Amino acid sequence: MDVNWAQVLFNSGVTGSIYLLGAVGLSLTYGLSGFPNFAHAEFVTLGAFIGYAVADQLGLGLPAALIVAFLGVGIVGFLCYRGIFQPLAKRGATIIHLMVASIALGFILRHSIGAIWTGCPYYFAASWHSYHIGPVVVTGLQLWLIFTAIALAVIMHIVLTRTKIGKAIRATSSNPELALASGINIERVIWLTWFIGAGLAAVAGVFRAADTVVLTMTGWDIILPMFAVAILGGIGNYYGAIAAAFIIGLAENIGVAILIALGFPSEYRMAVAFLILIVTLIVKPQGLAMLFRRA
Amino acid sequence: MPLYFLDFVVLAGIFAILALSLNLEFGFAGLANFGKVAFFLTGAYTYALLSQIGIPFYLCLIIGALIAAVFGLLVALPTLRLRLDYLAIVVLTFGEILRMIVKAENIGGFRGMVDVSPIFPWMGSPLIYRLENIGLIGLCLLICFVVAQLMANSPYGRVMRAVREDEMAAEALGKDRAKYKAQIFMIGSAMAGLAGGLYAQYIQFISPGMFLPMVTFTVWIMVLLGGPANNWGVLLGAGLIELFDRGANMAKDYLTLPIDPSNLQYILFGALIILVLLYRPQGLLKERGVKTKALEAARYARNAIKNKGT
Repeated sequence: MDVNWAQVLFNSGVTGSIYLLGAVGLSLTYGLSGFPNFAHAEFVTLGAFIGYAVADQLGLGLPAALIVAFLGVGIVGFLCYRGIFQPLAKRGATIIHLMVASIALGFILRHSIGAIWTGCPYYFAASWHSYHIGPVVVTGLQLWLIFTAIALAVIMHIVLTRTKIGKAIRATSSNPELALASGINIERVIWLTWFIGAGLAAVAGVFRAADTVVLTMTGWDIILPMFAVAILGGIGNYYGAIAAAFIIGLAENIGVAILIALGFPSEYRMAVAFLILIVTLIVKPQGLAMLFRRA
Repeated sequence: MPLYFLDFVVLAGIFAILALSLNLEFGFAGLANFGKVAFFLTGAYTYALLSQIGIPFYLCLIIGALIAAVFGLLVALPTLRLRLDYLAIVVLTFGEILRMIVKAENIGGFRGMVDVSPIFPWMGSPLIYRLENIGLIGLCLLICFVVAQLMANSPYGRVMRAVREDEMAAEALGKDRAKYKAQIFMIGSAMAGLAGGLYAQYIQFISPGMFLPMVTFTVWIMVLLGGPANNWGVLLGAGLIELFDRGANMAKDYLTLPIDPSNLQYILFGALIILVLLYRPQGLLKERGVKTKALEAARYARNAIKNKGT
């Protein structure tokens, strides 16, 4: 068995960064609003398409694509919550109704995307220089991805711990009634979380699409690992999600290396995240949350 | 045209079985099965693989239903004592995993399994073939409907609703909620497996691409539109949605739309479900109270006493 472990480790960083950006919003909105938003996957897809439109069709380059995708999809995320989930919750919808509505919304988003951008798959035109660092092959895009993921994670950490709005998010997440009693505008906190969460998912989508291909299934394809991250990290737990994203990225890449060495098709990589999901639910349904203070 | 209509009846019947099974899980017991398609797929592939080695069709159907039930139990076990949303996530992802495995294992070649043997041998007449299938599927639907009605209108049905309304209260009354949930999930999955077998033998061709999450979602629309926890309503919902599906397919050939009709259909389905949830969450036909012989007798007695008084 001849596996380039350094490469596996680096790939884990790449996968983990995508999952981190994709799943943080899922985990935070899950924790705050109390239901898993299955349409979160389509925020990733929408980000990929907006990113492609800005970077390639308009020719403005990757940084502009990331910013436009973040803001655009962030607003879509906010509107989805404001327009669908909030009215439903006000009418006393059960958690199952909210979940079904999110699946319905996912279909609307995915097929609207398919109707607007006909003729996918698209490929980002920009080709990235690849570097050889020792035994590891690295592309510029992947370095950008890891840098962006770490930078955004640090920014989020600073926002959550140092600013008033970040503290309000944490307060609402750990005890909504108490937060409301201390004069925090819970509604606005939830809106902001949906905005940021959807925006981060869009950034994940741009990177995933630039690294591979732009498809209407770009987001849905990673819904399983994203849920595995949210649950392993502990629902609504920011630091847990960061740790879980890299754990699952690592497990998947090691899993794929072993699968290929044993002669199995690499499609089974999904099964790794599924196993982690099931084992977490059996052993410790609250995930890694007990390792981190709630945030 | 009559052929087209009969084809509609066959598929509506198969989907009605799926809708009844989801109604037991979601409507009565409040279990969010977002992976109905996984058990449908299990039944279909079990039927196709077993009938290939010459096992009689009724055994293929029954074994398919049993394997689906076992899968249902295995998937539900880790989440039965957890919150409802965990079950939804696990079942949904299980459906995706199962489809991926079937695809990766390349069962029946890259085009899927062609030549699944039908229960009724081809007599050269598509009309007779459809009528025979309507008979068989009608019978299976009738059995499932009777089972669902008996489960709903019995003390068991009351426990199902109790688990749905307040798990803790049900538990406090000595009802083992995990046991009930597991049983209901197994029965629901078995029905879905049966529907899968019937589907495979009717279409005579199956491939992983036919078992997308959209199938699950279609069944959900049927239940939500028709009326959760009302078996008649669910039948109505299955008929209406299947009719809508057919109508949309026919309209495709006559209308020129600015956007791809299949995309439009998914968007309309999604919008429909959100509208139903917002404005008519109880569905077209509302839930009725439990109807058992003892209750009817009690009502009769109460009325008799009241009438005597006046």
